[in-house]
Amino acid sequence: MADRGGTGSGGGGGQGALETAKKSRKPKYSRFSQQELPACKPILTPGWVITTFISIGVVFIPIGLASLFASQRVTEIVYQYDSDCIPPEFSDDSVEFIKSDKTNKTCTRTITVPKQMKSPIYVYYQLNNFYQNHRRYVKSRDDKQLWRKEDETSSQECKPEDFTANGQPIVPCGLIAWSLFNDTYKFRVNDKVLEVNKKNIAWSSDRDHKFGSDVYPKNFQSGTLIGGGKLNSSIPLNQQEDLIVWMRPAALPTFRKLYGKIETDLEANDKINIVIENNYNTYSFGGKKKLVLSTTSWMGGKNDFLGLAYLTVGGLCLFLAISFILVYVLKPRPLGDPSYLSWNRNAAGILN
Amino acid sequence: MIMMKRFVYINDDQVSHELYCDNRISNRKYTILNFLPKNLWEQFSRFMNQYFLLIACLQLWPLITPVNPASTWGPLIFIFSVSATKEAWDDYNRYLSDKKANEKKVWIVKNGIKKQIKAQDIHVGSIIWLRENDEVPCDLVLLGSSDPQGLCYVETAALDGETDLKTRVVSSSCMGIDSELLHKIKGVIECPNPDKDIRRFDANLRLFPPFIDNDVCPLTIKNTILQTCYLRNTEWACGVAPFFSGNETKLGMSRGIPEPKLTAMDAMIDKLTGAIFIFQIVVVMVLGVAGNVWKDTEAKKLWYVEYPHEGPWFELLIIPLRFELLCSIMIPISIKVSLDLVKSLYAKFIDWDEKMVDEETSIASHATNTAISEDLGQVEYILTDKTGTLTENKMIFRRCCINGIFYGNDSGDALKDVELLNSIEAGSPDVIRFLTIMAICNTVIPVQSKSGAILYKAQSQDEDALVHAAAKLYMVFLNRNANILEIKFNSSSIQYELLETLEFTSDRKRMSVVVKDCKNGKIFLLSKGADESILPYAIAGQQTRAFVEAVEHYAQMGLRTLCLAWRELMNDEYREWSLSFKEASSALVDREWRLAEICQRIERDLQVLGVTAIEDRLQDGVPETIETLRKAGINFWMLTGDKQDTAIQIARLCNFISPEPKGQLLMINGKTEDEVRVSLERVLRTMRITTSEPKDVAFVVDGWALEIAVTRYRKAFTELAILSRTAICCRVTPSQKAQLVQLLKSCDYRTLAIGDGGNDVRMIQQADIGVGISGREGLQAARAADYSIGKFRFLRRLILVHGRYSYNRTAFLSQYSFYKSLVICFIQILFSFISGVSGTSLFNSISLMAYNVFYTSVPVLVSVLDKDLTEETVMQHPQILFYCQAGRLLNPSTFAGWFGRSLFHAIVVFTISIHSYAYEKSELEEVSLVALSGCIWLQAFVMTLETNSFTILQHIAIWGNLAAFYVINWIFSTIPSSGMYTIMFRLCREPSYWTAIFLTVAAGMGPIVALKYFRYTYRPSKINTLQQAERLGGPILSLGSIEPQARTIEREVSTLSIAQPKMRNPMYEPLLSDSPNSTRRSFGPGTPFDFFQPQTRLSAGYSRNCKDN
Repeated sequence: MADRGGTGSGGGGGQGALETAKKSRKPKYSRFSQQELPACKPILTPGWVITTFISIGVVFIPIGLASLFASQRVTEIVYQYDSDCIPPEFSDDSVEFIKSDKTNKTCTRTITVPKQMKSPIYVYYQLNNFYQNHRRYVKSRDDKQLWRKEDETSSQECKPEDFTANGQPIVPCGLIAWSLFNDTYKFRVNDKVLEVNKKNIAWSSDRDHKFGSDVYPKNFQSGTLIGGGKLNSSIPLNQQEDLIVWMRPAALPTFRKLYGKIETDLEANDKINIVIENNYNTYSFGGKKKLVLSTTSWMGGKNDFLGLAYLTVGGLCLFLAISFILVYVLKPRPLGDPSYLSWNRNAAGILN
Repeated sequence: MIMMKRFVYINDDQVSHELYCDNRISNRKYTILNFLPKNLWEQFSRFMNQYFLLIACLQLWPLITPVNPASTWGPLIFIFSVSATKEAWDDYNRYLSDKKANEKKVWIVKNGIKKQIKAQDIHVGSIIWLRENDEVPCDLVLLGSSDPQGLCYVETAALDGETDLKTRVVSSSCMGIDSELLHKIKGVIECPNPDKDIRRFDANLRLFPPFIDNDVCPLTIKNTILQTCYLRNTEWACGVAPFFSGNETKLGMSRGIPEPKLTAMDAMIDKLTGAIFIFQIVVVMVLGVAGNVWKDTEAKKLWYVEYPHEGPWFELLIIPLRFELLCSIMIPISIKVSLDLVKSLYAKFIDWDEKMVDEETSIASHATNTAISEDLGQVEYILTDKTGTLTENKMIFRRCCINGIFYGNDSGDALKDVELLNSIEAGSPDVIRFLTIMAICNTVIPVQSKSGAILYKAQSQDEDALVHAAAKLYMVFLNRNANILEIKFNSSSIQYELLETLEFTSDRKRMSVVVKDCKNGKIFLLSKGADESILPYAIAGQQTRAFVEAVEHYAQMGLRTLCLAWRELMNDEYREWSLSFKEASSALVDREWRLAEICQRIERDLQVLGVTAIEDRLQDGVPETIETLRKAGINFWMLTGDKQDTAIQIARLCNFISPEPKGQLLMINGKTEDEVRVSLERVLRTMRITTSEPKDVAFVVDGWALEIAVTRYRKAFTELAILSRTAICCRVTPSQKAQLVQLLKSCDYRTLAIGDGGNDVRMIQQADIGVGISGREGLQAARAADYSIGKFRFLRRLILVHGRYSYNRTAFLSQYSFYKSLVICFIQILFSFISGVSGTSLFNSISLMAYNVFYTSVPVLVSVLDKDLTEETVMQHPQILFYCQAGRLLNPSTFAGWFGRSLFHAIVVFTISIHSYAYEKSELEEVSLVALSGCIWLQAFVMTLETNSFTILQHIAIWGNLAAFYVINWIFSTIPSSGMYTIMFRLCREPSYWTAIFLTVAAGMGPIVALKYFRYTYRPSKINTLQQAERLGGPILSLGSIEPQARTIEREVSTLSIAQPKMRNPMYEPLLSDSPNSTRRSFGPGTPFDFFQPQTRLSAGYSRNCKDN
């Protein structure tokens, strides 16, 4: 009859089957082929489970406390200036204000340092409701063009900011570069200029391997529609650190990007005088702009999430462990009791 | 017009050359040229592949693809090339073996000269010369042989597995032609078109002058030798070469591509895939609409996105299509490959299993069909053959009854019965005639071995037993020399001339020989056969009552009976009859039927001599195996061609039915429709009533009543089939066996058919799972089957160990595959909510690809080594098979659990990643890698939690995979041009990365462990309880002692009426109730406990209603 192996043989299926029968006559013994590899078979005994939960709780709560503590130690000044820096006469028409060339966008404010801040103090700008992760946006770049001078012809990906009206390639091309953030901040403390170090704010790997030292901006922001900031076309891309920072798209619509570092300590109650050039348009889509001065800890900036989450998880684990112990004590149930097997239970004459 | 006949001209190159194909064997499916298109076409005829191809093509459109097309094309091409390579390799091996066969040297005779040529160059009509021990290169019609009587012996083991030698004879018209003349023989063979029946060949031969002119000589299968047989005990033979050549040989024709069988599990997986597909469409539509709305309301305000005011006409489609691509990973591309891989490993485990090697023959079990191991764990009905399957098929002559005198009743062995020996010595004519029939009424070939002992080569075990017994009773069958049968009785030699053999067919149920006593020239008809085909033809006036009683008496002891009879034929009568017999045997059309009719004419007025009783012992371990499997909730039906009494007796012996009063047998009998109907209704009534009592009720039906019941009262019979756990069907034909399988299958039961002989082949092929026993009746059944085993008792291991493990493992593997794909997909969906519903992919192409085909596919493969319970425990508690039978480990409800888990894990991973990497850290690549790491870690722990037994391989796979994840990402992090450049190094240095990962693991696994622990301890399933018992040592020993009692419960049957639909509930009810009794039966309160009553099954969506068609 039919040889079901599907791998028929020349002499005919019959012979094939016979051969296979002969071949498989003596299976080779190995613990693998007999499915007899030594195995450990853990089961969820109360002891193990309760111990695990207690130890997770015991480990997690200190870690949670430590990271919460670290986060609390970070001093952070957040100043939202987007609506503050609109002159009152433009308050109903902020988009008009920001788009206009003629308006004076400089805006001076003073904030107070609540606590002593040890250097380095990081200066961030924070944008809310800005979708750097939008599909149309995040793809709109050409990494090759940024790295090699020879590849300056922008790719399709960069559309619609790929070529100028007369067909010249734009370097750097794409929506990300085109919408470069261009607010600037100047700080003075006690009438002394507070230097903001803008060197090394970008990842060194980006400077060294992603943005070329011989690639210069070309035809950038030269079209009719001006997006964000402009670039000095005499400085190679690998030194345009604001651009490099901006070109690392954020995963969330709320994000901070490094503006610079202040390398002097700030004392409590210091009055910082900030001069903001409010150029960047977030008004048309209702985005917020914030200036952030922050110190740092081993966990990074101020972020209570991890600490709180650790405390919650640790606490819950302890709670579960305790309730398991209670249930175990109050309602003990022997494991693997054969009388729980229905066929045995029934044999004993107990119906349900 | 179809040509029904063809003419083959012997030794005539010109004529037959062009007409028929050459002898080249080709089993190949592909050629080099058509391989690619044909293979691709085959692969793309599967829905899954079409789906993935569509996705891959859509990804080529840069506007909508969220990731690099490589992330789908890569795996797709990989998977395709794996399948294609496997196909190509198989085909290449076929090509090699074809080539070997085609290039084999054979001797042919052409124009009187012997030449050696390649087998592929043989043409229709050429004459082939074979020497002793040569393999037959193609089907041949014998023209001559070294034997003066024109006999030759062939071994047909490769063809039908029968190891005895068969005689083949040169057709009568060629008999006696000198070997030199043979080279120049010319003639024509008129034969029907090629078919695959290896037991039949109806043709005619006519030789041309100078040979016997124009005398048509009939050819039968006896005059042929078929491809792959071996010539034995014959110096040479020659035959006219391939009248059927190459792929037209009998063997070539019977080769077929088997229909792929689909397991219940595959069907369920397909169903779930379909559900996920629908879910995906819904998600895509919802997100697509949301995305378009968001775009029109919000995104237009985002100047930095520069949405054009006027989009292209397909603008509205873009976002939904993007989501379709994002969500396409919901259906794991790797699942088919993983499943194929593990399935072939299950099959290998069966092949390798040392505990399933038959010690006697050292034949290992073999899984021919590698794709259906899971079904073994879900078997509900086993339909078994009796002879050779339950019994050893080793026949021993035990008793006989000659002329009303019982021999062997006292000692149990007639051969030692003094009375019989005495009457032989006394020369009682009846006894001697009885022995003569035993010795020569058969097709046995005695072979004189070198030591002088006589070996018998018999085709039927019964004949073998009879000839041996006769020899022990001093009636030795010495030699079959052409037509002369030589027997030796008490040192005097008697010779009979064999005139005709009226062969045994399953319809006639008897065989006869016509012999002429060489001494006095008297002609006798000697017959043997089943009682109902001999006794009715007894000569008028002979009292057959004694024989009927003898038959009943023996049958009750489980012995096989044959009636022996004889008649003296008048010379004229014989001559007249023999003419019509010859005519019938050369008929081309309806030969079998016409022969039967002719035989009937002479097989009458018989003198019945007596009854022989042959014992067929039960195989080792059969009762135990049946008991265990019945305990496992499997119902047994015995389908046998044997007599009712014998069948019932054997059934009792092997625990099919318990002895009275507990066991009750209900007979369905009757000769007419009405009788059958009445009897069927009566049985059905009894069955409905007795289902409430703990009784072991079985029904017994014979072939005749069955035919009526199945054709006329199908509905009632189906109902009966559902109600009855045990059935004995006797006197059934092969096609009825297949019909019964079909009936059970139509009620949506998983059936397993097991048998050993050619008569079981149809049932084996029909059943969901066919198991063949490579026994004494040849390999026919084993070859047609999905699994071949050496002994019936291996069935227990095959089902309980291999079937069950396979089911469990596939259940885990398939659901896990969906789980891991869903996790990553849900994260993408969640991310889309914070990326302006624009269809941005959080993960990059490399990660996505590696995730699907590597990080999550490799570890899950080692789940094929997982064992939830040890083999011993399962054997001790076969009831646990219920979980597999009812599909408790893979069904929509368990799947919903995995679905929920994936959603939960996605939320955990996503929340933790975006919150711990917020603000200044929210760099896209970093967040994506944090989320991916979280997934990988969770997968490792999910695998750990779901693994029951850890071998070293599991540890390597799970933890090695985790390590490999980091290594691979570090490697990618060193490539400047990759998006991931330095990211992994940066992350690994940050404490916040590790704290986020540990948090993910704790938050993701904590609730799952807690839930599992709670369920495990306070709502344990039977599996859990046994696991605990097994691992904790102690109580497991006491469990064994409870077993005997357990049998009583199985028989508990609920009182439901069959009018209610038969249903089953595969639902897994996580915390509510995990005891099987609450699910399997479910007809409201008050129903008694009936764990193992398969007909009472409830389900919401999966009712297995009986289809009465």
